[in-house]
Amino acid sequence: MTQRDFLDPAVLSRLLALPLHARQAMIGNISGKHRSPVRGSSLEFAQYRKYVPGDDTRRLDWRMWGRSDRFYIKEFEADTNLRLCLLIDASGSMGYGEESATRLDYARQLGGTLAYLAAQQGDAAGFWSVGETKMEIPTRRGASHLKLVLDQIAQMKPAGKTTLIESIHEGAEKISQRALVILISDLFVPPAELKPALQHLRFRKHDVVVFHLLDQRELDFDFDRPARFVDLEGGEPMLADPSLIGKQYREAVRIYLAELDEVVHTTGVDYHRIKLQEKYDDVLARFLLGRTPKKGGR
Amino acid sequence: MSFLQPLLLWGLPLIALPVIIHLIHLHRRRTVKWAAMMFLLAAQRMNKGFSRLRQLLILAFRVLALLALIFVISRPLSGGWLGLTGGAPDTVMILVDRSASMEQQNVTTGVSKRAAGLRNLAKAIKDTVGSRSRLVLLDSAHLKPLLLERVEALVDLPQAEATDTTADIPAMLQGALDYITRNKTGRTDVWLLSDMQAGDWDASGGRWEALRGAFISLQGVRFRLLCYPQTAKDNLGVTVERAVRRETADKAELLLDIRVVRQGDPSPQPVEVPLRVVMNGASSVLKVVMNENQLLLQAQAVPVDKATKRGWGRIELPADSSAADNASHFVFDDPAVLRSVIVSDEETVAEPLIAALSAAADTARKYTATVLAVSRAAEIPWDDVALIVWQAPLPKPDDVIAKQMQNHVAAGRSIIFLPTEARDDAQMFGLHWGDWKRGGEKPKNVDRWRNDAGLLANTRDGASLPVGELEVLRYCEINGEGIPLARVGANQPLLVRSTFERGGGAYFFGTLPDSSASSLARDGVVMFAMLHRALNDGARGLGQAQMRYCAQGMLDDESAKWRPVSAMKDAVVPSVTALALRAGVVEAGEKLVALNRPPSEDQPQVLTSTTLDGLFKGIDYERVEDTLESNRSLTSEVWRTFLIAMALFIVGEALLCMPQRREAASVTTA
Repeated sequence: MTQRDFLDPAVLSRLLALPLHARQAMIGNISGKHRSPVRGSSLEFAQYRKYVPGDDTRRLDWRMWGRSDRFYIKEFEADTNLRLCLLIDASGSMGYGEESATRLDYARQLGGTLAYLAAQQGDAAGFWSVGETKMEIPTRRGASHLKLVLDQIAQMKPAGKTTLIESIHEGAEKISQRALVILISDLFVPPAELKPALQHLRFRKHDVVVFHLLDQRELDFDFDRPARFVDLEGGEPMLADPSLIGKQYREAVRIYLAELDEVVHTTGVDYHRIKLQEKYDDVLARFLLGRTPKKGGR
Repeated sequence: MSFLQPLLLWGLPLIALPVIIHLIHLHRRRTVKWAAMMFLLAAQRMNKGFSRLRQLLILAFRVLALLALIFVISRPLSGGWLGLTGGAPDTVMILVDRSASMEQQNVTTGVSKRAAGLRNLAKAIKDTVGSRSRLVLLDSAHLKPLLLERVEALVDLPQAEATDTTADIPAMLQGALDYITRNKTGRTDVWLLSDMQAGDWDASGGRWEALRGAFISLQGVRFRLLCYPQTAKDNLGVTVERAVRRETADKAELLLDIRVVRQGDPSPQPVEVPLRVVMNGASSVLKVVMNENQLLLQAQAVPVDKATKRGWGRIELPADSSAADNASHFVFDDPAVLRSVIVSDEETVAEPLIAALSAAADTARKYTATVLAVSRAAEIPWDDVALIVWQAPLPKPDDVIAKQMQNHVAAGRSIIFLPTEARDDAQMFGLHWGDWKRGGEKPKNVDRWRNDAGLLANTRDGASLPVGELEVLRYCEINGEGIPLARVGANQPLLVRSTFERGGGAYFFGTLPDSSASSLARDGVVMFAMLHRALNDGARGLGQAQMRYCAQGMLDDESAKWRPVSAMKDAVVPSVTALALRAGVVEAGEKLVALNRPPSEDQPQVLTSTTLDGLFKGIDYERVEDTLESNRSLTSEVWRTFLIAMALFIVGEALLCMPQRREAASVTTA
């Protein structure tokens, strides 16, 4: 995949109609489309509050004073921008798949498209790669920054052992303000270790989205002959007879997925298990639609 | 294990092929780049035990299948005791028991123990050794090693044919030992064919210890015993113990003492036995009823012509599983005088002896006993005397009288040595006197004695002699090699038969008949029986008509030309050696000799495994039992077994290689 090939203009134009929303209030530094925990000057009414000395008298609701003979301050919602932090796994295992259609390529398509969509709606985008070579682009707005993010995404190469857990903890510490943290990984780590990492992110008030990328063959282990399995993360190769251990393999996968479901349920992250055989634009469309605020709410 | 195509065993390294192919496959196996190693590791952990075992089992089954295939085409022979010979030995010695009891046969096939054993041995040796080893035959009748060129000849050799002799297994082993040490035979397998008859083995004899020690000290000698210990069922045996012609005024008759023995029936039923009496070529049948396992017909009268003063005949039984004891031959003539000589200077010793020996035990015969002083020992009439009682210093080995004594015994006569008061260091017949011992305050009794054979055996009707009642005040030690027939005190031999000389009997009796030494003269019965048995045994070699036991050299004492009485004048006569080994009646001039199997061949007792283990303790030996009914060979091709094993290994391998059933549903994703 050449640089920027992971961005498909047709997909981008189709998805631009779907805004990227956070599921919780964001704290931005400029005005934007996203709800802020602080009151601001948007047109959308938020609440009445009793006047206390020091409040700006221009914000007194005189009509309310006329009806009740009391001073109330009329408050409006503040709209701010969204900070999108992409955590993309670049460990060796992300290199699994056909050439130019690896798991990392799929992650590039997901992450690049989301960064583009965020930038197009005026939000900031940042990028952390999880793997042997660490890359870190802080969240900023602007077309030039988007270019930088996309360039870094394009340059990622799958290599080395996974450092997912450490990277999530590190990200949780470094991302100072509330953000939409999107983790794209194969999550080949013990769920028990993943849980505290995700809890760490959630503790920092981030809206956490996990795209869990799996290949159908990894689930089915559908081999007919014994083979020598070479670890993409550099571990010892292993000789295995699928006819002999297939059942145990599938049992191990089932246990792992059940534990993972428990983890995401407990931590409250927005978890999406994706098979590489699915089209990424469908995945994104489903994701964005799922985030669209319901009618009457924000 | 032996193989008919041993060269094909060079293909054994091929069994490593599955392992090599497995290793090659390990390196040539398809490589898959895999990310989800954590699931693979977990699955491997869950499946580790059986997976590893399965791989090993598959490999083992493949190796074993190949091994079985190579064995199949190499045509293995099941060896049993012949198995795992580790290659052909330098020498194979075949010791064949040719005693009469070996002629017990399978009534259906007519194959005797000897024939079956020889056939089995020949085949086994041919299969396992072929012509790679030197083959030496040593048979019980001749005791001379014979080199064989072809093992196939074993079954047809005259030296392996049936005889009516007894076997002396210790003597055979001694012969084998002599041959091995003399010829330095290298690694030697000694194969012994025997029916394990206890009498032939003489397990209580003194020769075993020396033999065992000698064989233990030899390197590379192994024993293989092929045994046929089964006893005959409902077997009848007949023995003519005495044949005496008696003539009265009006008639003449032959008085026969006939013993009929039945074997193999613990609860005998009365049975009528037809005894066919063949005399001087004419036959008649005498029917007797057997109520017990033994029947003794004493002085059974058979009428003879008055003019017939001498003759021969036999008693025959109907055919049964043991042909050798179905006939007993006899001859008769004017009986010889039962002459005995007592050489002693002591009247107290000589008097009771002469009284006993002069008394007639059989009124039909004449008895003569003479006392000679020691100084007149040269006057002994050696040709006529049946028994010599010698109470005098033993002669020196090179004395004339010593030679005469040896000839006397070799001719089948008897001699009893009694101790003198003076110490005597000389040795005779392998025995010599020791010191006199006093019995103590109380006289000693005879604790143990052999009541099955010998001078102190039970009487014909089974009653025991009152040997235990004998009181021994003092006795002289008996040293040397011999068969103890009675023991006194602390296991000291009192009566010993020498094994040094074959033929008649040479006995050492360790006490004296006078009252200062024992109660022998006072009680009398034991002394009388003992002396008269020795006298009768010695008298067998006297007279013109004699009854002898088959053995090599039994007819060598005569220079005359022996021939069977029934042979035609111009017929080819077997050699004297061959004649002496088979039962029958032979003549040479005026001499008539009836040859019969020795009485020990009628004893059905067989050697127990425990006794055999004791005899061969410390010696590398194996024993295999066979029966006359068994058709199995000592060696047989067992390729079918390996073929079946190969098929089983292949099926096992196929089952283990069969892929496991795949689950219908795969893991679903959320």
